[in-house]
Amino acid sequence: MSRDMRRDFVNRSELIAYLRQEFPEAARNADAVPDARGGRKAAEDKLAEIDVQAYESSRNHLEGAVTHLSPHIRHGVLGMAEVRDNVRNKSSGPQPGKLLQELAWRDYFQRIYTRIGSAIWQDQEPYKTGFAAGDYADELPADISDGETGLACMDAFGKELIETGYLHNHARMWFAGYIVHFRRIKWQAGAHWFLQHLLDGDPASNNLSWQWVASTFSQKPYFFNRENVEKFTNGRYCRSCPLYGKCVFEGSYSDLEHRLFPNKPPAPKPKEKQPGSKKRKKWHQ
Amino acid sequence: MNKAIIWIHGDCLNPGQTALRRHPHTPAIFVWDDDLLRRRRIALKRILFIYECLLDLPVIIRRGQVAREIITFAKEHKTRTVITTGSVSPGFERICRRLREQGLELIITDEEPFVDLPQEPDLRRFSRTWRAIRKALEED
Repeated sequence: MSRDMRRDFVNRSELIAYLRQEFPEAARNADAVPDARGGRKAAEDKLAEIDVQAYESSRNHLEGAVTHLSPHIRHGVLGMAEVRDNVRNKSSGPQPGKLLQELAWRDYFQRIYTRIGSAIWQDQEPYKTGFAAGDYADELPADISDGETGLACMDAFGKELIETGYLHNHARMWFAGYIVHFRRIKWQAGAHWFLQHLLDGDPASNNLSWQWVASTFSQKPYFFNRENVEKFTNGRYCRSCPLYGKCVFEGSYSDLEHRLFPNKPPAPKPKEKQPGSKKRKKWHQ
Repeated sequence: MNKAIIWIHGDCLNPGQTALRRHPHTPAIFVWDDDLLRRRRIALKRILFIYECLLDLPVIIRRGQVAREIITFAKEHKTRTVITTGSVSPGFERICRRLREQGLELIITDEEPFVDLPQEPDLRRFSRTWRAIRKALEED
């Protein structure tokens, strides 16, 4: 008869000690245990905290009123219909707002996953960067996974990912854009790393968002400049960054586009973006 | 209904899920997929999060090769019927196939979807799907 795993824990510390003993390899991969709890009570608490109006106005900022629902939705502790109804009850008008649209993105990715299955790991389309897939490195360099790139923002995101299993959507986009376009690494390497750590790690939402950034599931690559990071983080990282003013993200979008994608054919109607202007924001948990 | 077991998996850990609600007092099992944990190099915090969810559920927790453990559990309870919740994961499909190959009968329940669409939308880009979803949400 197979051995049943334990359920009788006096407290969380005892559970954690048990899991370290039972899953030593996982503990070796990353031993950190975040405050975020699993379970229905924790999920219901997050659901009750949703502030639809605050979410709509502040979600792109790292300190914005995001919901932190994604791990609970990803593991089906909260049903999509249940969350939908909760959001509707708190919404002011009859039109589906931004939060329902975010949920729709998850629904969309799940539909694609149903259709393509394991091909979720393959490029859905060619890169639109002027580079071929073979031009991108296969492996994630250690300076990224160790948080030692010297870029205060990226190193902080890496540490947060490993310690908490969570990253704000915008941080995921910047991080993915950095890895794929500034370091020219295959999106799959970053996607694997995220899935190791994210409490909401789900191949559909994760991989298709990486592909959206990479341009293998979108019309153009997603990238960003320093002013964009500074604006949506209230300068939290730039202020303490040793590379402030001379980092790889410095410059206008036009400058960066030429630097990052020198072989990319020009767009039919090029538009100069203002430094720090709002870029597309589409990472969906 | 005849004797059955419930297979709980990581895509549906709601204590109020349909499978548990419709079949109370039915033995339920969750299996940690050791191969998947190793292959994906899953960090401890993800295991902890899921384990905390499992402690809310009336479920026996085991580990190993998922299909094999479910088959063993079914034998222990002298049944060939497995109730579970549908999932879009290809891994779920593979396990279901193996269970059927071993002569088990599967009853797959579904949770209420985010939106019911009259037909599969155009999935090439989100904007096209969103048009169909928004219409359905507005009419709901």
